[in-house]
Amino acid sequence: MPWNVIKVDKMLDPNQQFRGGVFHHSIPDGRIGADIRISPSEIIAEPSAEALSVMDPSEIARMPRWVIPLSECQVDLGGASGRMVFCRNKERDLTIFCEERGFAAVLGDRSGGMLSEQLHLVKKRQAGENHRFRFWLTVGAVATLLLGVIGYYSVLAAARLAIAAVPISMDEKIGSMAMQTIEKEQKLAADHPATKFVTEIVDRLKPHAAIPEMNFKVIVIQSSEVNAFALPGGQMVVYTGLLKKAETGEQVAGVLAHEMSHATLRHGLQRVSQSLGIVAAIQFLIGDAGGLLALGSQAAQTSILTSYSRQSETEADLEGARMLHEAGLDPESISAFFDKLKKEDGDIPGVLVWVSSHPLHEQRIESIAKFKSTLAKKEYGPLDLDLDTVRKSLQ
Amino acid sequence: MDQRPPLVSSYAQATLWIPRMPACDLIRSQSLNFQYLSTFTTMQYDLVCRPASTAVRFALEAGESITCEVGAMIAMSSGITVETTSKSRGGGGGIMKGIKRMFTGENFFLNHFTSQQSQQTLLIGPTLLGDCIHHPLRSGSMVVQGSSWLASSSSIDIDATWRGFTSAVFSGESMFWVKCSGTGDLFLSSYGAIYPIQVDGEYTVDTGHIVAFEDTLQFKIGKAGKSLIGSFLGGEGLVCKFQGQGKLYCQSHNPPSLGKLLGPKLKPR
Repeated sequence: MPWNVIKVDKMLDPNQQFRGGVFHHSIPDGRIGADIRISPSEIIAEPSAEALSVMDPSEIARMPRWVIPLSECQVDLGGASGRMVFCRNKERDLTIFCEERGFAAVLGDRSGGMLSEQLHLVKKRQAGENHRFRFWLTVGAVATLLLGVIGYYSVLAAARLAIAAVPISMDEKIGSMAMQTIEKEQKLAADHPATKFVTEIVDRLKPHAAIPEMNFKVIVIQSSEVNAFALPGGQMVVYTGLLKKAETGEQVAGVLAHEMSHATLRHGLQRVSQSLGIVAAIQFLIGDAGGLLALGSQAAQTSILTSYSRQSETEADLEGARMLHEAGLDPESISAFFDKLKKEDGDIPGVLVWVSSHPLHEQRIESIAKFKSTLAKKEYGPLDLDLDTVRKSLQ
Repeated sequence: MDQRPPLVSSYAQATLWIPRMPACDLIRSQSLNFQYLSTFTTMQYDLVCRPASTAVRFALEAGESITCEVGAMIAMSSGITVETTSKSRGGGGGIMKGIKRMFTGENFFLNHFTSQQSQQTLLIGPTLLGDCIHHPLRSGSMVVQGSSWLASSSSIDIDATWRGFTSAVFSGESMFWVKCSGTGDLFLSSYGAIYPIQVDGEYTVDTGHIVAFEDTLQFKIGKAGKSLIGSFLGGEGLVCKFQGQGKLYCQSHNPPSLGKLLGPKLKPR
């Protein structure tokens, strides 16, 4: 094989010089750059021309050449690159080192394989050490990740438990704080047919809420967005866009039941405490306090209070369905509304605000239907409220 | 060998702009009797205002040139020209080396200061408060932590070297380091004090405290104590272990710790 032939030819060049260096106590600074040759029996290093050029003439005269007999040479690998070959004499007070390619091969060749055996052992040992270190680093990284995941879920769980101990008045305070940030100019008057309509639905559903004594209030805001949300403490906002979009009063009741459930299940507070809990946990681990303050101020904003996890959405769906059932309304009117939205305006993004933040609607429809089947059979009456009048008043 | 007048004679010129730094008063009296720190070096330099806010003052003769980190120049005489390129003076490198250098935390460009007249002075200093040192590079190469390279003779090649992914992720050190090779003078800066260590065998340095080390030293990441958990609880975490024989420069403070201390106290924008 030609490749091999070339290599062997090069290796056997008796005058091949390598650039390297020497460590010896006789050298000022202890180290000097050297040209290295390997004779059949010795490694010979002489100060390189470069090194001599910057040396005091009196010192040059004192510079010897350094020799290590191959028979007593001990080799090692190291250096910044990990590929530098170090040759030491028996007393280990003289070191000749070289990083050049081919040096190790020539060394092995000249020593009749003895030194390449040694180098091979060193390489094997170092590879083993690296391997072990990498193994433990991986174990460490995986353990840290695992702890992080466990920590995350325990914080979430702890936050849920902690909420139970917080009085409802806390929800109300946070809710009214957030309510102040909502634009009031677009709010419809209390005697507007739309406001009366939603208030009546809320009054109808109220006795069946998980926390009936909660102070439910609902306002209607003039906006083309199809959206509705509940704040902690029971304050709700319905956009006129949603009322225009709804086909029946039952569908509006479905949305409201869902939103009321968010309030009674205290999802807003849960969300805040979870994010605060996670930030607090991060702060404990890393020691950064700035983020906590920033998040605290953010928590008062509506966005964080009204965007829930999928789990919370599903919970609110089922609790809403329960409320509707007990109020004598069809629980499936929750699914009916967003089913209609999805079908009609699937490609208009603005319309999908209420739906997009919610779980996959096929899953929701399914889980609501499943839940309905577990409920006692009941004749559902219609909601005897006139949505058409409301919609006309909004034109 | 050197027929030039000693730097002291050109000192009067240099003092013209030194007195503005009050901390230098004490140092000035000392530097009057300074001599060449190394008999080898052909470059005349003086480390002023040591050790807390060190600057390097060069006395350049006509045609002499020095390569500096971008932004390092504090002041200079009128007879010095500045050339900014991504190449080393010797013509080595180019755009690729410039890009590689950026990964180390250094700048894409290098500034070459060339004296057009005799007896010109150039004053350069690092970004962070701290010391500077001179390292005569005689053979082989020096591996320098990104931001510690300050200046070097134009004969020295400045390149980036890959230090490995693991060490970067776990030690917080840079993935690339600056590799200076050739024969000439190297000026390194530190955050805080700088101290040289002649390693023979093994030596451990906390991450972030390394300034530079010779190519004969092997650098590995390891744990400070026997147990990994203990190492972290002790606040030392992972450390850098040096093996072999050679010179190592360490700094007394480390920039990431300062960042951690100040970062959270800054107001968000």
